[in-house]
Amino acid sequence: MKFSILLRKELKEMLSPTTIITMVLMIFVLIFAGKAMSKAVDDVKEDAKTITICDQDNTEFTQAMINIIDGDENTEVKRVELKSDDFTAELKDSDYKNVVVIPKGFTDQVMEHKTATVKFAQRMTSIATFSNINQGSKAALEVLQRGIKATIYAQSELDEATRKQLDDPIKLEEYTVVSDKQDQIASSTVSSIMSSQSMFIPIVMFLLIMYTSQMIMNAISTEKLDKTLETLLSSPVSRLSVISAKMISAAIVAALQAAAYMFGMNKMMDGIYGEVATDKNIEETLKSLGLSMSVGDYILVGLQMFMTILIVLSVSIILGALAKDAKSAQTLQMPIMMLAMVPYFVTMFIDIKTASPVIKYVTMLIPFTHSFIANQNVMFGDFTTYFIGLAYQFVLLCLCMFLALRLFMSDRIFTLTLGGGKKKSGGLFSKQKPSYDDE
Amino acid sequence: MEVVLDVKELSKQYKKGVYASEKVSFQVHKGEIFALIGPNGAGKTTTIRMISTLLKATEGDAVVDGHSILTEPEKVRESITYLPDEAGAYKTMRGIEYLKFMASIYAKNKGDVEEFVQRGSEICELGDRLNDKISNYSRGMQRRLLLARAIMSKPSLAILDEPTSGLDIINALEIRRIIKKLAADGMSFLLSSHNMLEIEYVSDRVGIISKGHLLEVGPAQELVDKYGVKNLEEVFEKVVTVH
Repeated sequence: MKFSILLRKELKEMLSPTTIITMVLMIFVLIFAGKAMSKAVDDVKEDAKTITICDQDNTEFTQAMINIIDGDENTEVKRVELKSDDFTAELKDSDYKNVVVIPKGFTDQVMEHKTATVKFAQRMTSIATFSNINQGSKAALEVLQRGIKATIYAQSELDEATRKQLDDPIKLEEYTVVSDKQDQIASSTVSSIMSSQSMFIPIVMFLLIMYTSQMIMNAISTEKLDKTLETLLSSPVSRLSVISAKMISAAIVAALQAAAYMFGMNKMMDGIYGEVATDKNIEETLKSLGLSMSVGDYILVGLQMFMTILIVLSVSIILGALAKDAKSAQTLQMPIMMLAMVPYFVTMFIDIKTASPVIKYVTMLIPFTHSFIANQNVMFGDFTTYFIGLAYQFVLLCLCMFLALRLFMSDRIFTLTLGGGKKKSGGLFSKQKPSYDDE
Repeated sequence: MEVVLDVKELSKQYKKGVYASEKVSFQVHKGEIFALIGPNGAGKTTTIRMISTLLKATEGDAVVDGHSILTEPEKVRESITYLPDEAGAYKTMRGIEYLKFMASIYAKNKGDVEEFVQRGSEICELGDRLNDKISNYSRGMQRRLLLARAIMSKPSLAILDEPTSGLDIINALEIRRIIKKLAADGMSFLLSSHNMLEIEYVSDRVGIISKGHLLEVGPAQELVDKYGVKNLEEVFEKVVTVH
């Protein structure tokens, strides 16, 4: 009964209105970000439909070519005149961001069966990713090639079958093999979808680790510094109940936050990649490749995530108890943050398993890494790595919990601080001398 | 007279050869107010923390209501309440919520909770302000709330470290009056204070502690007579200087 009282108190403290508002706001922010990015992608698609052409050659051939392009229902041609090749000046006050210039002599080059040259200029207005997705040059090249072909075909005596063959002489059938499964899909498509779907896992893991550690460290250090911990531990409740209530409530709140973030990130991803993600064929293909997670897979990934949370809680209890003041409590979160950042960045950019042995083993030594790669291990059927990671996390968890409990159950919870105050001796971890101020 | 607290050669050694408190022995009787006084670093808080079961004694023992702090710390905690010096309360809670929370911890049944909260509300005299967040309380208001918390459950022994620190004269007087009244009703108190006037007024007996040793124990007036001085402050000065 006393435990439930403590748990309620801890939950109420940790699940404060500020925390709840932050969670809800974060979901809205992520949804908004998804919508904004989705709109940016739509704008880019819309922009790609319009091609701005400056025809400096101005021959019958180029006009016929432009008319054929303009006749395409998916392309709209905007004709412009440029006074010079100074694109800086020409694009500066214009209402278009890019332009295709068909230079003088273009028709002659085509007629002489030479590779004809066109120019493409793009005005960059931002370094934001979605501002520069514009595939204008590629689209322009494709459109012009199509136009040239169509014009040449019109002037030639080629039959329809030959024209079609020349348009698409080769058809590529791509297959992707994952573990012992294969399906007909381009690996680049699979990779693109998988990376977009799994990019939020490291972010969620990182945020989860930081939030969990911050919560428990705040809870422990504030209780210690305000001396409410002394009040609580001198009351008729066991120390184990006090520490368990703190750990369980922090784990509950952390899980809620993780769920909120996952929901928000999922909505954001839906906003960006909605069209691809909802494509039934691709969904089925991913399933057939074993790249979609089953309920059992989710349980395995969740188990490793939970292990990480528990390790973070145990370490944070130790660090929180060492805090001398509020400032040092914040500083003490640094080791956890650094340890979380390594797998966060490494898993985002490289495949740990194929990395150099030093990077591989150093990263694998960090217990959080195994949660960052849990979904990959499960999806690619690498259960050996998964279970070794889980066992390693379990051993570390036992060690950290043992140390945390030992600290909490001993005098050191009241006497140990990081840095040892102004004492010259004592090193990093030193017992507070029974100081005159304290006594 | 019934002994509520029996401290027997209680020692705390932080480092080899360095004692924060060494062979401290004294008794507190039912309804008695016993005050520990001493300079900073004398070992008062360490002694109090050992009796409160927060720190483990290196040697010796203390028995509260027949329960040893070494072998039955859980039972000891049922008989005591402890108010640390400069303690705070949970700032996200309202005053009334704090009293309810602490009452639930000490209560044996639901009726107890209501009784403790009722008594706590009366003792702290915060009225409607009990519905305010503790973060909005002044230091004095917070101290009154904490003191009310410490005595609302009528423990056998209330251990109060600097009970009136941070309070203005009126509030401090009120707190002393409450302590005396509760002692008269049978509650025992172990106090620690720097305020000699307060100790002289409120305590039945005084223990002077210095460098971890309990040097003198007795009623304030007896000590004053023994050392042939005017007040407890001068007794304190003489005892601490001599030793």
